[in-house]
Amino acid sequence: MPTAPLTRTVPWAAVTRRGVLGWIGPGLLVLALLFPAAAGAFYLRLAIEALLLGAIALSVDILLGFAGLLSLGQAMYFGLAAYLTALCYLHLTQSFWLVAAIVIAAVALVAVLLGAVAIRAKGVYFALITFGAAEIAGKVVHNTRALGGSDGLIGIPVPSIGLPGFALPLRNDLVFYYVVLVAVTLAFIGVRRLLATPFGSVLSAIRDNAIRVPYLGYNPFWYKLVAYLIAAEVAALGGLFYPLLRGFVGPDLFGFDISTQSVVMALVGGIGTLIGPLVGGVVVTLLQSVLGSYTERHLFVLGLVFILFVRFLPGGLFGLLRRDEPP
Amino acid sequence: MIEVRGLCKSFGALHAVSDLEFTAPEGRITSIIGPNGAGKSTLFNLIAGTLAPDAGRIVLGGRDVTGLPAYELARLGLARSFQITNLFFGLSALENVRLAAQAHEARRRFFSRLERLAAPAERARAVLAEFGIAELAGEPVANLSHGDQRRLEIAVCMASRPRVLLLDEPTQGMSPAETLAIDQLIKSLTGRVTVLMVEHDVDLVMSISDQVIVMHQGQKLFAGPPDQARNSSAVRGAYLGADHAAA
Repeated sequence: MPTAPLTRTVPWAAVTRRGVLGWIGPGLLVLALLFPAAAGAFYLRLAIEALLLGAIALSVDILLGFAGLLSLGQAMYFGLAAYLTALCYLHLTQSFWLVAAIVIAAVALVAVLLGAVAIRAKGVYFALITFGAAEIAGKVVHNTRALGGSDGLIGIPVPSIGLPGFALPLRNDLVFYYVVLVAVTLAFIGVRRLLATPFGSVLSAIRDNAIRVPYLGYNPFWYKLVAYLIAAEVAALGGLFYPLLRGFVGPDLFGFDISTQSVVMALVGGIGTLIGPLVGGVVVTLLQSVLGSYTERHLFVLGLVFILFVRFLPGGLFGLLRRDEPP
Repeated sequence: MIEVRGLCKSFGALHAVSDLEFTAPEGRITSIIGPNGAGKSTLFNLIAGTLAPDAGRIVLGGRDVTGLPAYELARLGLARSFQITNLFFGLSALENVRLAAQAHEARRRFFSRLERLAAPAERARAVLAEFGIAELAGEPVANLSHGDQRRLEIAVCMASRPRVLLLDEPTQGMSPAETLAIDQLIKSLTGRVTVLMVEHDVDLVMSISDQVIVMHQGQKLFAGPPDQARNSSAVRGAYLGADHAAA
């Protein structure tokens, strides 16, 4: 990865600045709201998948674009959330809210424990720890008969989301699409708000020059840990819905393929932009799907896309729109 | 003010700082000079919390701060500059100073909206103006000249309203004209902050310091006003060799 272009981008200013970027978000949301009117069942489900994978890319961006931490294991929280969700609906409850609460709490616990270890490491060592932890988690699931082993868990019932006075049946793809769109949009707005703060500005400082930060009176540990925790929860959002889209979960949800794919999505959209990774999620998911129908070697194409962006457009699609001025 | 009592730090067999004692008086400029390897940088790293001492105490404004981490010391009012310019090069000059001001002015408002936090930004603009670099506020630090970066380094320190300011070779790599300007700037801080400075430029040290401490091989050779330091035979010995000291 070329560090120079990635560290010269503009983190929190990009999320507070009005202007071109300020209008693109609402514009894309309108398109997304109208999308089901134009799309058939296949593309509607593909769009749901794109949004859920985009959430992992968003979580990569929180770490890489703001705290300067490259995680190669964000799929761990996606997989963890997906398995917990599946287990809860299979054995425990049909209440969406209870399952969501369990997933949020469990992911927070794991993220704080693993994060406290991982963020002490710098650069490539952080990437290796996150990668290793995700691989271990995947292998443990793979070898645990109670979790379905290599077959995973199948036949996950699809719940309805209970709200005061009515319920949203996720079995209906149109309802499912809008629920996921709202959830991902709220996560995006929440993350953007959270980073347009002194907290976010200190993360930018850590990314730029971590060694200098303590001498200003900030303890970088807590800032990085909170960023890591938020990123884990955002990745878990994808895992909270993914089993309901597919009806099954497998150990590959923890895998390196999903972790690296989300890094590519973030890079394609634009690291440090927050909205870019969501768009990157759509672009890459669509690309994978279209290519997948022609060739089995779509990962090869993904790698090529990655190389081309790193070489020619390291700021990603949204990097083109952003004026390059520092905060 | 800052007091150092019986401070020791060794790296293996090398006694970088041994049994060092001195007091930097409130609101005054104290300079530390000495030949290369005298232990000046180690002393700075001990005081700023980068290194932990093997023995001895560091007292900041009456409070024992020995062994506290750098971020705690910064919160207690200690600011330091670096020998090799150490700033946020990808951020603007204003944001560099604003981050320092924010740590002081808005410490408990982590999740307030940035645009509603006026105090740190106002403080940052005022400091940039005081240091004569207001027009560079929006520039990325990487684009600034070396002299302006050195100036900004001190501005960042002052933005947090420190009680003690540690300056590590503030004029390193500067032209004579720039050195003179920094000279004036540091002198103007007298009375507002206790300055402890490591500096190689002996003329600068002699002209602006209230107290000079001469270090040699980790020990204090001399402490006193600059005119006495100039005439001390021990100081000459350390710098020029034993023959000159005898003369």
